[in-house]
Amino acid sequence: MLEKSTELHDKFWEIFSQQDRNKIDEFKLYMDKFAINFNLYKDGNFIEQSLPFDVIPRIISKKEFTKIEKGLQQRVQALNLFLEDLYTDAKIVKEGIVPQEFVEQASGYLKEFVGFSPSKKIRAHINGIDLVKDSADDEWVILEDNLRVPSGSSYPLSIRDTYRKIYPDFFEHMKIDPIKNYPSIIANAMDYVNTGGLNVVLTPGRYNSAYYEHSYLAEKSGALLVRPHELTVVDKKVYFKNYNGKLIRVGSVYRRLDDEFMDPKFFNPESLIGVPGIVESYLAGNVALLNAIGNGVADDKGIYYFVPKMIKYYLGEEPILKNAPTYLPYFKKDMEYIFNNMEKLVIKDVAEAGGYGVLFGHEMSAIQMEDLKTIVKANPRRFIAQELIEFYDEKCYLNKDLQDRKADFRAYVVVAEDVKVWNCGLTRYALEEGNYLVNSSQGGGFKDTWVMEL
Amino acid sequence: MEKYITGNVATNLYWLGRYLERTTITLREISTAYDKVIDIDKDAGVKLYDKFDVKLKYVNAYDFLKEAIFGEHNANILNILTNARENAIICRHLLDSEAFGEIIALHALFLSTYNNHLEIDYNLIDQAQSLIGEILNARSRRDHKALSDSFFRIGKIVEEADYRIRFHEEEDQEIIQSIFKEIDSICESLTKDHEELPKIRRVGGATKDDLLTSLNAKVDKIITG
Repeated sequence: MLEKSTELHDKFWEIFSQQDRNKIDEFKLYMDKFAINFNLYKDGNFIEQSLPFDVIPRIISKKEFTKIEKGLQQRVQALNLFLEDLYTDAKIVKEGIVPQEFVEQASGYLKEFVGFSPSKKIRAHINGIDLVKDSADDEWVILEDNLRVPSGSSYPLSIRDTYRKIYPDFFEHMKIDPIKNYPSIIANAMDYVNTGGLNVVLTPGRYNSAYYEHSYLAEKSGALLVRPHELTVVDKKVYFKNYNGKLIRVGSVYRRLDDEFMDPKFFNPESLIGVPGIVESYLAGNVALLNAIGNGVADDKGIYYFVPKMIKYYLGEEPILKNAPTYLPYFKKDMEYIFNNMEKLVIKDVAEAGGYGVLFGHEMSAIQMEDLKTIVKANPRRFIAQELIEFYDEKCYLNKDLQDRKADFRAYVVVAEDVKVWNCGLTRYALEEGNYLVNSSQGGGFKDTWVMEL
Repeated sequence: MEKYITGNVATNLYWLGRYLERTTITLREISTAYDKVIDIDKDAGVKLYDKFDVKLKYVNAYDFLKEAIFGEHNANILNILTNARENAIICRHLLDSEAFGEIIALHALFLSTYNNHLEIDYNLIDQAQSLIGEILNARSRRDHKALSDSFFRIGKIVEEADYRIRFHEEEDQEIIQSIFKEIDSICESLTKDHEELPKIRRVGGATKDDLLTSLNAKVDKIITG
């Protein structure tokens, strides 16, 4: 189902009807020429491929975006307070708002970091929050928080430049918010927590799926792009190894590695990547890591259930943006509800990501449901269930034809002195009609997102 | 002013300079030999590839182009450009975006010609030379970052020195000496706080290979991080 058309949409279609559609092919040529890739490993082979792009943008009015912005600022502020509290006083647990056992069983919770407070007490600096617009009540709903290493911002940034060149009419005749400021927002977040030294973007390397993004953000934010072994730790301080062997102090690391690969001395001694000793330096307050280690507990799919409670607890406010109705089989009452209504629910494995481990009740046979119930009973903390949100489709121009596809929206929220929501984001659409999975790793494509007014 | 660069990126910039120069030189030599193979000297291609230590076989001028550009040997242009593309991807954040795009396009041009079994004629070389010209134009803009440019530049001129020493040492003596001076100058600017680097000079009795070894050894001393 499509969202009701507004004057903004009408204006877009009016201009679109006057454009040469043959020029749409130029987007793909541009992405290929500049190797704007999302890399994959398939059957053991490294495949470089561009992310599918659709020319029809998602249009969000300024008024509507302002509400999203306020809701996201509120949510990310609460999530930061939660993380800081959880790893220091843990009042929210002591007061029974979030069950202790539930926290301790979260795979992203790292008890070794209890008692440590990072630079400026910020833990979730650069965040990607996934939302959809519910067709039932026209409201935006939060589906997922990504507080570790969310990716994707470089794709709309890159494509916007091309869009302006290929189809300038839209930008001449519509008031579309410019978006070039995102790298400077990132740079500001790094500067704000910097403990003295260079800003670096830490990439696993050229064969990572998002290497293009790491390289792009480093270049545009003025940070150095480094691989783990190009950093070294001496006397609990992190240094960058210059080409001539000189060591230069590093004060802020925008890391694009997961926690478990950050430091073989601290996490997995078998790991071939990571910066040995960086965790010790971090714990000594000698370097800032964006995002903090241990954030996985807050974007755990099970902890998601408690975010509205966190907002009330820490901020004393009602959540501006709602969660999808969620049930935790961990609670007996919820488990009963899930088992009695499985056919209309979406069941998610909290340990999975990227669209994996998502089961739709309406697609399951009776036997599959019974099997799943057995698995859920054995390990209720591992699953959550959600009401299926019938979120809006977006119009897509695919195979020279307008088609409807489910689409979500990843908003980027960056925390420094204040909480900034980038006035763009990554709109992802599903590969096939009716499919609810929009993830890039599931073959989904992306669109530009225009925050605009008439 | 750009001050910091990782050893890995510096190495990739250096090799990008070398591979692009190698492509330029090889295509130029192929063009010259192609013209001769048509109706002047059927063995011009064989003689050229002898200098690359490659035994090239072909039946006519078109076949010479095909074997020279895509044949199974070290001087295969597609292989050289595959390496250049890889270098460019690793150091793309320090490249002008137009230059980067043209490098990807240059590789894609050869790859699609190879994969689609397209006819290989002089147009391919013309298009490639035009793209290389655009890459070098983009690199020469004044707003470039001095440090990364130095590594790219030194790679380019080391390759030129290598080529002139191997192919035209006697007639290009003056040019070779001026390239050595430029290499010395860049090396000194990149290592000014370090021990003095040896000058590249041909000492009596030394072979071409000795000279090339001393050239490469000097460059190896620059990137130590």
